[in-house]
Amino acid sequence: MRVALVLVVLALLIAALAAVPWLVSDYGLGFMLNLMCYLVLTVAWALFSGTTRYVSLATAAFFGLGAYTVAMLIKVLPIYACFAVALGLGTLMALLVGLVTLRISGMFFVIFGFGLSELMRELLVWWEINKTHTMGRYVFVPFDTTMIYEHLLGLAVLVFAVGWWLKRSRLGLALLVIGDDETMARQAGINVPLAKVLIFVVSSVFMTVVGAVMAPRFGYLTPNVAFNPMISFTVVIMALLGGMQRLWGPLLGVIPLILLSEQLQVRFPFWYSVLLGVVFMVIVYFLPRGVTGLVEHALGLLREPAALPRGVAELVASVRARLVGQPTGGS
Amino acid sequence: MAALLEVEGLTKAFGGLVAVSDMSLAVSPGEILGLIGPNGSGKTTLLNLIAGALRPDRGAIRMDGEDVTRLPNHLRVRKRINRTFQLVRMPPNLPAIVGVMAGVLYGAERKHYREAEHAAGEILAGLELASKAGHRLDQLTYIEQKRVELARALATGPRVLLLDEWLSGLSTGELEGGMAVVRKLAAQGIAVILVEHVMTAVRALCSRVVVMNAGSKIAEGPPDDVLRNAEVVRSYLGDDET
Repeated sequence: MRVALVLVVLALLIAALAAVPWLVSDYGLGFMLNLMCYLVLTVAWALFSGTTRYVSLATAAFFGLGAYTVAMLIKVLPIYACFAVALGLGTLMALLVGLVTLRISGMFFVIFGFGLSELMRELLVWWEINKTHTMGRYVFVPFDTTMIYEHLLGLAVLVFAVGWWLKRSRLGLALLVIGDDETMARQAGINVPLAKVLIFVVSSVFMTVVGAVMAPRFGYLTPNVAFNPMISFTVVIMALLGGMQRLWGPLLGVIPLILLSEQLQVRFPFWYSVLLGVVFMVIVYFLPRGVTGLVEHALGLLREPAALPRGVAELVASVRARLVGQPTGGS
Repeated sequence: MAALLEVEGLTKAFGGLVAVSDMSLAVSPGEILGLIGPNGSGKTTLLNLIAGALRPDRGAIRMDGEDVTRLPNHLRVRKRINRTFQLVRMPPNLPAIVGVMAGVLYGAERKHYREAEHAAGEILAGLELASKAGHRLDQLTYIEQKRVELARALATGPRVLLLDEWLSGLSTGELEGGMAVVRKLAAQGIAVILVEHVMTAVRALCSRVVVMNAGSKIAEGPPDDVLRNAEVVRSYLGDDET
């Protein structure tokens, strides 16, 4: 009964989101598209980094790979074939990177991810200037903003579904344990490198496909735009702000940060990066567990009203009693 | 009885330091083998070699006749070799039951996800930890932590169990309980290798003891005989020449 209710609500929510292009202005759609793009990237990032605690700065590498694959092939292949090639290349690169780097630890992995996206960017710039004598590529296809948005929405549904499944699967449990104590994970019989590579591939493929779907949005795409390192940093900060203990955590990071960066960009175009940097530091310092942690703390107080001031505690207890019957005193 | 686990000529050096040198031993189902020796004699390194945390330079490890020397750690777990650590290793930020569930899911039995929580709960209950399933490691007492870790090891369905000072640091009453647990495991047919400094426990539990010093085996036999051996006493109490 409850499951059915949740499913109905979810279906209605998805339907409402799918109808957005016909309900809002062009500006509104652009905003929603941006939001959807970062939502998928951030949830995909959290699938891997939230569980294994490897901080990945390779987001731009995979996003760029997807976007630039489409930019290079769009003249010779139909768009869905381009997406398929991007997906294949993303899988391949994730496998290679995963097998090579997931044995190294912490800091080295962070630097490797960042270095990889910068290397790909520089190589492509060199290639385009010296071999093809262009600065970038036009991506003119009958694939308009509405189409891009609907595809991103589909990816968002998919990435949330994967995350939901992961929380109830043996792989998800293995990743939780690996993130907490790798030595113990091995001693429980978990194939640690395999589990890490698997989730890295899943996460990276989502990023690649987002890049591919976003390619037509740019119209004219240069390696510097496709492999923009700001993508990697923004995703990390969104995930940190949202908090990764819950699947919906990234949502609470993506929405406020998209809103904020929009405002900052419009009002302080020259100070934008600096101000965003300050915001990032404030987040990490004051909200180490993200907005999710804050929300959970508040929910925890509601569950255990004893910690609240007296009058409020009694109010909460009486409301609770009316809603759910007997007070249970925590979970 | 035929040996279940056989270790033959195992050698491991770290740089110039030979931590384990030409060690051989065997243990049969239901047997409790004591492994004693002074600190730094190579006992834990030997356990790491058998469990698969380290690869030996030379020698062989056979489980039930099958060579497992080259198998990585997690595959030895699935060959039913497991261990506890000298300092308890369980996920610090997760409920105790999650670590045990991992063992149920990825150990030798590889149970289905839906059965895992129930199976893990039963293993915890078997070690009198039913009420502690939801507790994090730092919410458990020392003895409870040790038992939770044992539960994780048992969850993988081991036939050889390596206990690294699992009985150390316990009060007299707790020691009695701990020894009863080890006896019960052996009675179920598990071959136990007990690395231990608590000699009362070694004497009471082990039918056979292997003594290590400076990486080598210096004595082997029933505990009473071995502990009377002059060389053993010297390695524990110190040598006049050193």
